Parts: sequence; C-alpha cells; structure tokens
Amino acid sequence: MTEAKKTPLLDELEKGPWPSFVTEIKKAAANSPSAQDLLGQLELSYEDKRGHWKHGGLVGVMGYGGGVIGRYSDIPEQFPNVEMFHTIRLNQPSGWYYNTKALRQICDLWEKYGSGLTNLHGSTGDLVLLGTRTENLQPFFDEVSNLEEHPFDLGGSGSNLRTPSCCAGPARCEFALIDTTDLCHDLTNEFQDYLHRPMWPYKSKIKISGCPNDCVASIARSDFSIQGTWRDDIKIDQEAVRAYVAEGFDIQGLVIDKCPTKCMSWDGNELTIDNANCTRCMHCINKMCKALRPGDDRGATILIGGKAPILQGAMMGWVIIPFMKLEPPYTELKEFLEKAWEWWDENGKTRERIGELILRLGMRNFLRAVGLEPVPQMVNAPRANPFFFWWPEETVQD
Amino acid sequence: MEELKAKILEYLAGVSKEKPRVIAEKIGANKKEVDKACSELAKEGKIEYLYIGTSYVTLAGRDHTPGKIKEE
Ligand code: HEM
Ligand code: SF4
Ligand code: SF4
Repeated sequence: MTEAKKTPLLDELEKGPWPSFVTEIKKAAANSPSAQDLLGQLELSYEDKRGHWKHGGLVGVMGYGGGVIGRYSDIPEQFPNVEMFHTIRLNQPSGWYYNTKALRQICDLWEKYGSGLTNLHGSTGDLVLLGTRTENLQPFFDEVSNLEEHPFDLGGSGSNLRTPSCCAGPARCEFALIDTTDLCHDLTNEFQDYLHRPMWPYKSKIKISGCPNDCVASIARSDFSIQGTWRDDIKIDQEAVRAYVAEGFDIQGLVIDKCPTKCMSWDGNELTIDNANCTRCMHCINKMCKALRPGDDRGATILIGGKAPILQGAMMGWVIIPFMKLEPPYTELKEFLEKAWEWWDENGKTRERIGELILRLGMRNFLRAVGLEPVPQMVNAPRANPFFFWWPEETVQD
Repeated sequence: MEELKAKILEYLAGVSKEKPRVIAEKIGANKKEVDKACSELAKEGKIEYLYIGTSYVTLAGRDHTPGKIKEE
C-alpha cells in the first residue's frame, strides 16, 4: 500500500464541531488502498481548483440500464487505485428502515467488492456505495440480489425513473396523513421497468411526504411531489388551546400572526379557523399539536416540475392535483403518472425535465394531454424560489 | 417483436450509440414498442445502456470506456 500522503487542505475540513467525511475516509484508508488514493486525488483537486473525475463509459450489470454511476480518474497514473471508482445505488427500503443484519450483509459485501465507503443516504434516497471497479459490479450485484434474508435491488440512475423515496411516514410519525411507506413500495414495484431501463428524455423523480411538512423536500427535489393533506376542517380542542395559553404560550405571536393566510383568530378564550382559507401548511398544528389535529378526510396534493438547475433554473413543484384520495391500489395516481410520462417522452428534448417541458409548451397543452380540468388551486410555484431567505430581523423567532 | 428486435440490432450496428426515441423515428416504429424491445434485448445481453449526460443504447460489448474510444 502507498504511504499515507499529506493532505493539508483536506485536514482543514476536520477542524470544527461537526463530523468530517475526511476523518472517516482517513479511517477507511487504513485498510483500503482506494480510500487512500481517494484522499490523494481529492487533495490534488483542492490544489488545482478543479475536479479530477470524469464520468461516462459503459458500466452496469446485465440487463439493467441504471443503478451504477461510472466514474474514472483523469490522472490514473498518479492514483491507480481510483482509476475506476464507480458508485452503486441500492434501492433503499421505504422510509429507510433496516435491521442491523441487512446492513451488516451489505457492509461485508462492500468490503469484499468495493472501497468499503458508503453514503447513507444520497440525495436521491438510495443507499449509496462509493467506489468499485468495473469487473466487480456483476459479482457484487449477483450476491447482493441473492442474499437469503434481505436481498437488495439496484436503484435508478440515468434517463429513467429514479428510486422513489418517502418520509418516515406512519411508521414513526404522528403527522402522516397517507401511508407513504406503502405507496413508495407499491410504486417502486409497479414501475420496476421504468426504474431499471432508461428510455426517457432524462430523469424523473417521485418523492412522497406524509404531510405538508415535507420532510423529504419533495417539492424542490422531485418532478412528482406527493404530499399528504386533508380537505375537511382542522380539529380544535379548545380546552387544550386554553391550556397552552395558560402555560404562557404566545399564541398570537407564534401561531395567529404566522398563519400564512391569516385565517385564524384568537379572542382570548376561543380559537377560530376559517378553514376555507387555510392552505394546510401545518404550521399551527406543528406548534400546538396537543390542541390541533388535521381533519379526517385525507389524501394528497400532487405537485409537478420540481428540479435542480440544468436547462432552466431551479424550480419548485407546481400544484397540479390539489387533492387526490390515495388508497391501494392507487390506480388514479398511477394512471396520472403514466399519462404525464407519455406526454413528456413524446415531446421532451434530451435532458429536458417535465417541468421545463411544461414551461416550453404551456400548461394548457399539458392539462389537455393528461385530461385535467384547470382549477384555481393549480398554483404556479407556491414557493417560487428555493434559495429565498427571510431577513432575520423581519422574522419572529421562538 | 422478434422482427423489431432484429431491426434495432441492425440499426445499432451502424452507430456508436443512440436514444431509443431516435431509433423509433429512424426505423419507423412505435416508441413504446421500441422501449419494450430494448428491455428484452438488454435482458438477453444483446444491447447495453450507456450514460453520457443522458442515456443511450448501444450494442453489447462495445468499449465506451473514456479514453479508450473517442465519443462523437
Ligand atoms: C396588464 C396586462 C396583462 C397582464 C398582466 C397579462 C397577463 C397574462 C398572463 C399571466 C397570462 C397567462 C400566461 C400563461 O399561460 O401562463 C396571460 C394570457 C393571455 N393574455 Fe394576457 N395579460 C395582460 C394583458 C393582455 C391583453 C391586453 C390581451 C389581449 C388584448 C391579453 C391576452 C391574453 C391572451 C389571449 C392570453 C392567453 C394566451 C394563451 O393562449 O396561452 N392579455 N396574460
Ligand atoms: S413529512 Fe410529515 S408525515 Fe412525513 S415525517 Fe415529516 S412530519 Fe411526518
Ligand atoms: S394550517 Fe397553516 S394556513 Fe391552515 S390555519 Fe394553520 S397556520 Fe393557517
């Protein structure tokens, strides 16, 4: 193994009160030549102020078109152990629940076939395994997909459906208004072929949050954002509201004044909500969860077009279906997705996401193609800019 | 389907790589059918998917490793 090289620039990233990926890669480098060279190449890229990875090439496993992201060093003479450093995406279980045995199996296999470095979880949602050589891909996949107890499939990459992902959902969260974990699992199985065999203009993502708190940031990170919501009235326990206030809770400053639609009022004794004007943002419920609960008529809002900048700038989802009941087998949702994908596949340019296509050809065309009536709730970009920050002095902090 | 698959293989023999949509246009076939045929060909190991900014299909066994062959 090569002598540990000096990495003064990377060492800077170990200083501070946070965990450091540099510290972790250094630990791995004690047993892994590729982790060792990874540090070396990364240090050099900090010196050169440019990356030394090139992507492309044909990497993958038999019959699949996604799940592996090819990476090669552009200076393999200097760093032979990262000459190839491919990433494997494993399809994570819904809500990222594993038992220790499942994780241990993957770790053992990854020490055998890869660098031993992982990244739980990538921004896509997948369980990400960092760094292996082309000839190890197939043997690794054959083993991981045939594990006796907890076999794993590959996730998505390339111009296909990316691994659907969801928040912790009803398994762990009191706010879940739909069964995110079941829906995510169901869609993953239903659209297996779109996930594994890229055939579209570019990528397409589905992320599912159980409520508008949107813990998976689906509105900004997915072409199809599914968020649990309700359409009847917020349930108010007036006694519990009074108890909050009696304990010194600033109901005016923290709840009433912060309601985005100003649809709440407090007369000192009774809390009133004009539900017709409530946008179901969850703020008041988050603040007073002992007194306020979402209604019982539950389903989801579906937004379309969220994405990071490539052709257009960053975009957030556009409300396309204000409310849809979501119960197995989720037929209405699946039909909508199929129609949307078909229109995009027929009309999209290479590397054009569905939101960009809607901008180019117009919402009218999209609505006609998927057979939806325009309604006022189809709000264009309910929050237009993911990089907007309020001035600190203009906000009331708790 | 077998006929379509043969046409796709024949088309791919003449190019380095192509998007399924372009193949469908060039051989005058339905895009959905081409997708299905490509899935089968991939499972049979006759074609492979290639990612260079976006995904393409290519005949199996072609070496697209960066540096080994110039991509057009
Ligand atoms: C203050 C002036 C105006 C504003 C702010 C305005 C704004 C808009 C907006 C936001 C749209 C929707 C675009 C979209 O599809 O997203 C629109 C569409 C349209 N506007 Fe205006 N507009 C104005 C004046 C006018 C005038 C004076 C006319 C005609 C003489 C006009 C004719 C139209 C038409 C025909 C459409 C529909 C285009 C289509 O078929 O998509 N607008 N306008
Ligand atoms: S999005 Fe809502 S349901 Fe899902 S974990 Fe967050 S708060 Fe809970
Ligand atoms: S959910 Fe949001 S919009 Fe609705 S009443 Fe509460 S704070 Fe206001």
